[in-house]
Amino acid sequence: MPKMKKIATAVVSFVLAACTLATTAFADQPYEGYNYDWWGDPVPSQTGYVVDRVITGLDFKTGERYNTEAQLKEIASEHNKQYFASQQEIDDYKAKLAVYQAYEDKLNEYEKYEKALDKYNTYLEKLAAYEQYQKDLADYEANPDGKEKPKKVSKPKEVEKPAEVQKPEPVEEVKELKDGDILMKNIDLKSFNEPSDLFIDRETQNLYIVDSGNNRILITDVNYEKEVIVLDYFYNPKKDKYETLNNPHGIFVRHVRDEAKDADTTMLYIADYDNNRVLGVYEDGTVFQEFTKPSSEFYEDKVTFQPNKVVVDVAGNVYVNIKSITTGAVMFAPDGSFSNYFGANRVEQTAQAIANKFWKTILDREAAAEFIQAVPMEFSNFDIDDEGFIYTVTESKSATTDVFKKMNPAGENILINLGFSDYIYGDMISYYWKGETFGSQINDVDIDEDGTIRLLDFGNGRIFEYTDECDLLFIYGGKGNQKGLFTSVRAIEAYNNVVYVLDSRKASITTFKRTEFGDIVHEAMALYTEGKYEEAREPWNEVLSRDSNYWFAYIGLGNAELSQGNYKEAMDYFYRNSRPGYNRAFKQFRMQFIRDNFNLFMIIIAVVIVLGIVISQLLKMRKKKKAGGK
Amino acid sequence: MRFDLDMPAWKWPFYVARHPFEGFEDLRWKKAYSMRVSLVIVLCFFIITVCQQVMTGFLFNTSYVKVFNIVPLLVQTIVLFFTWVIGNWSLCTLFDGEGSMKNICCISAYALVPYLITQIVVIIASNVLLMNESAFILFFQYFGIVWSVVLMISGMKTVHQYSVPKTLAAMFFTVLAMVIILFLLVLLMSLFQQVYVFGFSIYTELMYRFSI
Repeated sequence: MPKMKKIATAVVSFVLAACTLATTAFADQPYEGYNYDWWGDPVPSQTGYVVDRVITGLDFKTGERYNTEAQLKEIASEHNKQYFASQQEIDDYKAKLAVYQAYEDKLNEYEKYEKALDKYNTYLEKLAAYEQYQKDLADYEANPDGKEKPKKVSKPKEVEKPAEVQKPEPVEEVKELKDGDILMKNIDLKSFNEPSDLFIDRETQNLYIVDSGNNRILITDVNYEKEVIVLDYFYNPKKDKYETLNNPHGIFVRHVRDEAKDADTTMLYIADYDNNRVLGVYEDGTVFQEFTKPSSEFYEDKVTFQPNKVVVDVAGNVYVNIKSITTGAVMFAPDGSFSNYFGANRVEQTAQAIANKFWKTILDREAAAEFIQAVPMEFSNFDIDDEGFIYTVTESKSATTDVFKKMNPAGENILINLGFSDYIYGDMISYYWKGETFGSQINDVDIDEDGTIRLLDFGNGRIFEYTDECDLLFIYGGKGNQKGLFTSVRAIEAYNNVVYVLDSRKASITTFKRTEFGDIVHEAMALYTEGKYEEAREPWNEVLSRDSNYWFAYIGLGNAELSQGNYKEAMDYFYRNSRPGYNRAFKQFRMQFIRDNFNLFMIIIAVVIVLGIVISQLLKMRKKKKAGGK
Repeated sequence: MRFDLDMPAWKWPFYVARHPFEGFEDLRWKKAYSMRVSLVIVLCFFIITVCQQVMTGFLFNTSYVKVFNIVPLLVQTIVLFFTWVIGNWSLCTLFDGEGSMKNICCISAYALVPYLITQIVVIIASNVLLMNESAFILFFQYFGIVWSVVLMISGMKTVHQYSVPKTLAAMFFTVLAMVIILFLLVLLMSLFQQVYVFGFSIYTELMYRFSI
């Protein structure tokens, strides 16, 4: 017993001593350009993109309304505005206005003069009366009898004779002009006001900017060279009225080819947030469809219809993202009728959700209904690729389930990691820094023409670039006020290796261009996804010579070795980089190993069997001897 | 067939593992508790856990071995084992348990043997098997754990002369006792740290004084 206590004391003191030796070190913030290693720790890595340009509304200077002159005149009369064809006309108008205002001033002066003149004339009359009275009084005093005493008239106050003013020549009347009343074809763009969405039309290379605060859509091209076209009045033939937007949040552009006429129709779908509708507009500004709150029994009356983003598939089905709906996107048929909901997220498996499920299996239906229903998180943005797959992202900081989904037309997520655990998108862990928790809040997604996925992280202002198979390529961007850092990112688009990021608070579009390193990685990746592992070897080696922390290069080289039949080398490359890859390489390696050493194995097995028999016989004999000896 | 119970001490754990129910009775009858053997087993427990962290094949290795730190492993094995022993002893002496601390330590260590053996098998197999053959590894792991738990229950029952429900209750409360002990240990550690910091600051103050 005392020995036992001694041991216990020794162990406790040993552990205490060991514990004081333990130190933990971790980085405060992830590195400038970083990537994740096998354990999910950020490691410094080269970045594939650098900032190229930052564009604000002021850089565009002027834009042009797409409405025709006749339309603008109609709009002017309908919306109580003044139409001007050119700046010259405004100047003329202002000159006229000035003349008219001068006339008005003069008129005022003249009116004053007239009043003064009136006053002077009455004075003169009164003066005459007074003089008459004095005369009468003198007559009366000289000869009072028989005459009545004249009534007393007091002496009027003296009034000066006003200076003479000429009556001005009448001029044509001109209405006063406020800034907001001017309607011109060309407009001064000024800065954006809380822009909220970008869209790149790959066919025409047009860049659409949703300038929410100014209630307008701006169209320019991807190089910002084309004259900006401004869309803010839309002709609605059904109401025969020109309509405006109210805080638009999203836009989608779609081309429909009419083979018979050999003509291309461009259709714009605008999520008109505060007007509770999605506006379908042709390129010429005519409204062809208005998608409003469905009156279906599946759409609850008390739920608002404030479209946040909109996406249209090839068949013309319209998917509307509404933030107050958790059951997925509201899907409209091409004729504008509500068809159903599309692609809801799964319910997050929190302790509460699991507990609810448990109680529901035990309790009867009425009692279970009293529990809080576990609802999935609503997704906040989506995009569609050329093949019709819809990609959604969920912005919530606490979301871990279905942060990013690629959905087939049936609404099923097809990025399921082949039965391994779910993919992690954005930063691997959220971390705590100076009183604030930084976690990824993915609020936009873009799929470019190669299928590269870019996720935009509102929480940290970062862009996460993935291959179409969800392998992380690059992380860039960040929070801050410098060029290339963001305060409040809203939208991301990419075209032709250029990435456009919209920041609503900075009211600017930041353009990233790819570095040489990024080019090499993408070249290697393109070969890799085509299955040309051997051809990809050279670029992957180049990648590693530039950045030995770039983990995907090891996987690429591993596959190259595997395709060559060098299983041992492939295993070395895959080790701590890719479990599926290692599994494949090891399978081949094991097979080869057994085949190569088959004879050796057979000999070993034979020897073991023989030895076993011999030993057991020997033991038996020994036992017999012992028994016999007794 | 009766076994020859006059075997050397190192054979007892294997005998007990092969006879989960009467093995401990025999152990108790022969008073064959060996502190030396049980300490070796606990050491093996620690070493095998380290091996499991470091030597498990890449396909089945889920541990964070980028930075190898031995302290958590110490806590997971040796500290946990002795907390279990101390917790169980302090609880069962209050509730009519017949086992002494040495007895408890021995049967707990002996009960670990199947788990350790299967763990060695798992470590070797993980370097040979593929991912789609992981069922074997899972089977071995569960098999070892279940066998050890059965041994532990049987051993506790024998060494304290309890009924089965009482054994289970005692084991459950032992876990609670362990939590309390570990909590107190953490408290103690932070206290020591404070004392150390206090002493160190006095020392530096004095050094400043005398260096002038």
